[in-house]
Amino acid sequence: MATDFLRPAEHELETVDININVGPQHPATHGVFRMVLTVDGELVTDLDPVIGYMHRGNEKLPENCDYRQVIGYHDRTDYLGQFNTEHCYVEAVERLGGLTAPERAEYIRVILAELNRIASHLMFMGAFGTDIGLSGTSFMYAFRDRETIQDFFEEITGERMMYNYFRPGGVAWDVPDDFKERCRQVVAAIKRGLDDLDGLLTKNEVVLARCRGLGPVSREDAINWGITGPMLRATGFQHDIRKAEPYSIYDRFDFDVPVGSHGDVYDRLTVRFEEIRQSVRIVEQALEQMPEGPFMAEGMKRILRVPPGEIYMRVEGPRGEYGIYLVSTGTDRPYRHKVRGASFCNLSALRAMSVGHYVADVITILGSIDIVLCEVDR
Amino acid sequence: MTGEGSPPAAVAAPPGPLATLFQQALPGAQFEIVQTPLDETIVVQRDDLVRVMETACNHESLRFDFLRCLSGVDYITHMEVAYHLHSYSLQQSVGIKVRCPNDDLHVPTISHIWQAANWHERETHEMFGIVFDGHPDLRPLLTEEGLGYYPLRKSHPLAEIEEWQEDYVEAIARAKVSAQGAAGAAPAVDEKAAKIALAQKKAAAITKARDAARAKGLSPEDEKAAVQAAIKAVDEEEAAAAPAAAAPPPPVDERAAKIALAQKKAALITKTRNEARARGLSPEDERLAVAEALKKLAEEDAAAPPAAPAPAAAPPVQDRAAKIALAQKKAALITKTRNEARARGLSPEDERQVVAEALKKLAEEETGG
Repeated sequence: MATDFLRPAEHELETVDININVGPQHPATHGVFRMVLTVDGELVTDLDPVIGYMHRGNEKLPENCDYRQVIGYHDRTDYLGQFNTEHCYVEAVERLGGLTAPERAEYIRVILAELNRIASHLMFMGAFGTDIGLSGTSFMYAFRDRETIQDFFEEITGERMMYNYFRPGGVAWDVPDDFKERCRQVVAAIKRGLDDLDGLLTKNEVVLARCRGLGPVSREDAINWGITGPMLRATGFQHDIRKAEPYSIYDRFDFDVPVGSHGDVYDRLTVRFEEIRQSVRIVEQALEQMPEGPFMAEGMKRILRVPPGEIYMRVEGPRGEYGIYLVSTGTDRPYRHKVRGASFCNLSALRAMSVGHYVADVITILGSIDIVLCEVDR
Repeated sequence: MTGEGSPPAAVAAPPGPLATLFQQALPGAQFEIVQTPLDETIVVQRDDLVRVMETACNHESLRFDFLRCLSGVDYITHMEVAYHLHSYSLQQSVGIKVRCPNDDLHVPTISHIWQAANWHERETHEMFGIVFDGHPDLRPLLTEEGLGYYPLRKSHPLAEIEEWQEDYVEAIARAKVSAQGAAGAAPAVDEKAAKIALAQKKAAAITKARDAARAKGLSPEDEKAAVQAAIKAVDEEEAAAAPAAAAPPPPVDERAAKIALAQKKAALITKTRNEARARGLSPEDERLAVAEALKKLAEEDAAAPPAAPAPAAAPPVQDRAAKIALAQKKAALITKTRNEARARGLSPEDERQVVAEALKKLAEEETGG
């Protein structure tokens, strides 16, 4: 071809940065999240996360609701770990208001919260598989088992997503009579299904090739960035709020805190697998110990007034530390209600983790954070 | 708006073990202890903040390496920033708070100590207007740039629904007025409508004052003051006009009237629609015909307010008894016919036919008798 004369000489060429927008409407961003990537060829040289698309004023609204109405807003922050968020809120109100929930309610809460953690991790496995190109098989396996949990939750609360079931002082109503029996069925289904998923993902050549050694974070960096949950444990740091600062009745159960070793994407995956197994252990023990009795504390008033004071309550959510800073002035409504989303803090480290990697790997790293945008934007 | 309630009184508490550690590590700094159910909380002076935080992070008996949470709080009289720290190695947690007056919303950044503070400070800045001096990048995080107000301040109303949904509110008001007109009831002083009108008025005043303030290039604080003055003016105006409003008339049986009207409308719609279909009109024309009929009805009603609803016709007790008797008769007939048919060995189709015929005969007898 005689196009040589069209080609500019070397000294006329100019190198420019190219910006790529990933999202906000992109399946790989797990919700409405945008990344502005600056790329040099395939290499990401800078990354600017843009969030806020889901901001609904989830901290302002509760200031105008009474203490019971707030529970529903927590389902809508971390919509994959709803029971964990509700757990955090009711614990905060109970500790501030000097209330205690009956034993049975505590066990119900722990069982549901742990099953919810399993459901959330299954969702992660499914989505993560598609992120790295397993084109749906992982979704099928994960959702088959997640569905049994969803059905179980629906039988108890009447809802599939926005449960609104925990209450300060107990739970909204008692569980069905066949609760223990059904729960054992669900646990058996999870155990069976988990082996399928484990076989598909952890020893998969594609997963190994794409995830091992990718996006490692050192322990010191992770702590400094405020990374919590499975991402922190993947760095080899053994910390779990359920063990370190036990809330509710978590000090009664025997379970391990799984850790990784390199802090890379692969470790984040395996840590979550192990966490499912540990949650199953907790559920099984709780089912054994669960007593009969009332599900709601006696003498609860219709309008709850919490004495003046403040508390920062935190629980171990599926994504890490879910915290609530609650300030009360003695009225029937929270004065200030700040939500510390685990994925908000984990996501803030995305830039540090991603720069220097290929575009496709950035998608994998983002997937491994397991963000829930409703919790990030609130 | 939740402006009610005073800030929680600082409960004087004896210094706990952590506060003592802080005092030992930082001689000369002023501390105030606040009791909370979970963590010890210390209020520090703004000038000491960076020193306190650096010590908290690095001192060997404190070693708070993890910034859990950073929250702003608007106490109306002042603003507060609360830091919640945790030490992984020593397994201890502490809350540290710093106060700043409303006219000087500046707090030094701590994002150089914990990177985790970066996004938290950005968020607190956009939500409360607190400036974190020395922060590398204070762009808004969750809201758009140039928002012009700080949503989480107590002075900011929850949502000025009227401001951004004017059409919606107007439509509701119009629908109410027309419903009242149609029902024939005297347009009573509707409290809700009055409230909406007042809210609209206020929203308009707020918008106007804010726009004017922005046009003048006022600071957010002055803007807030201007807006509040505008709201107050509207309130005073309303208060002056209030005695003029007449006392609401005794309530008529609005519900019954409404139901009657709705039934009338439904009957009219069905009638008009059936007529239109019988005449073979197109769907568009049909809709038009229905709308016209409804309009006519509304006009008629408005012209002649209906008298008190006439007492219902004689209670249809007999009707009901007769109906039950008929149903029982039918049921007995069905059973009988079916059994006969089965005895004759008829197929299910024929059986059904026989039953239908028997029922038909019964119906004829009934109407004939």
